[in-house]
Amino acid sequence: MIVIAIIIGCIIGALIGLNAPIIPYTYSTFLAIAVVAALDSVFGGITSVLKKNFDLTIFISGFFCNSILSIALTYLGQKLNLDIYLAALVVFVGRMFTNLTIIRRYYIEKWTESKKKKAEKAVTQE
Amino acid sequence: MKLKIKKEKLVMSITIGIACFALMLVMFMQFKVVKQTDLTEIENMRETELRTELSTWREQYNALEERYQEVSSKIEEYKTQSESNEETTKLLETELAQINEALGKTDVQGEGIIIVITDNGGTQLDDDTTVQKITEQDLLLLVNELFAAGAEAISINDNRIVSMSDIFTIGSGESSFLQVNSKRITSPFVIKAIGNQSYLESAVMGNGGKAYELQELGHKVDVQRSREVKINKYDGQISTKYMK
Repeated sequence: MIVIAIIIGCIIGALIGLNAPIIPYTYSTFLAIAVVAALDSVFGGITSVLKKNFDLTIFISGFFCNSILSIALTYLGQKLNLDIYLAALVVFVGRMFTNLTIIRRYYIEKWTESKKKKAEKAVTQE
Repeated sequence: MKLKIKKEKLVMSITIGIACFALMLVMFMQFKVVKQTDLTEIENMRETELRTELSTWREQYNALEERYQEVSSKIEEYKTQSESNEETTKLLETELAQINEALGKTDVQGEGIIIVITDNGGTQLDDDTTVQKITEQDLLLLVNELFAAGAEAISINDNRIVSMSDIFTIGSGESSFLQVNSKRITSPFVIKAIGNQSYLESAVMGNGGKAYELQELGHKVDVQRSREVKINKYDGQISTKYMK
């Protein structure tokens, strides 16, 4: 059910996004940083699911708040003539890599464990 | 219990779906913007490069603007100059035309009179008197009278009388002949004059007028008034050798 919701949401979002009016090039930085923040939240959510401490409220609030906050920071950076969005980018991408590592480790461990179990089973059957 | 779990799951999937929707929406919008903004050159350039580029362009623009202002002001100057030049040219042209007219270098026409004098020199009026030949004096006086009466242009046998004209008798006695503008003329003498018709006529044909006198002396004189007397230009060269 969740998978269906994700797929439907993705398809509708893509379709509307493709037909949306073009925003000026100057503001594309804001959208880009919002996208990175949202992706960071998604990976964080997946990690928390694997760690079994997933909370929907925290996930959704993080998803939207991070995006809005990063946009606000970028805007502030533009006003200050300082590229604050770079700092936000470093934090988000760094966290994304950490989360990806955790996810990778989890699945690899799971895979090796299942392999071991199979081998033990084969040994006991003999 | 089972229903509750299902409800929670539904809420969760809907919220996650909304989140996915928002993410994809923003992502594809961004893709589109980046794709549409195909300013590869600008994108590949560093900001500082762009800045220097911009400043050089601005400098060039300013220089060109300055040059443009200079040139346009110059053009304005030339325009006013040429206008004044045109005025002077016009003035000079009218002056030149007037001078040419006065000098007799143009064909002119206008109201005036035509005097035709047939020389009856040598004919015997009676036993004692013989008609004298028309002399240079007669013609000179006639021309003088015409000028005095306000004639603007005079010609004798189509020889325009100008400031350098001469009226002269060559030879003496029977073989003498008259010469105007160094050209030989013979009777009948056609004297054309442009001016006020009545003034001219009364000047030459009135009492004491030269034409009247010539008529009295026995020559055939015919004076015609004309609305359109045509007088040709002086066909000789007006050249100066000693005037400086």
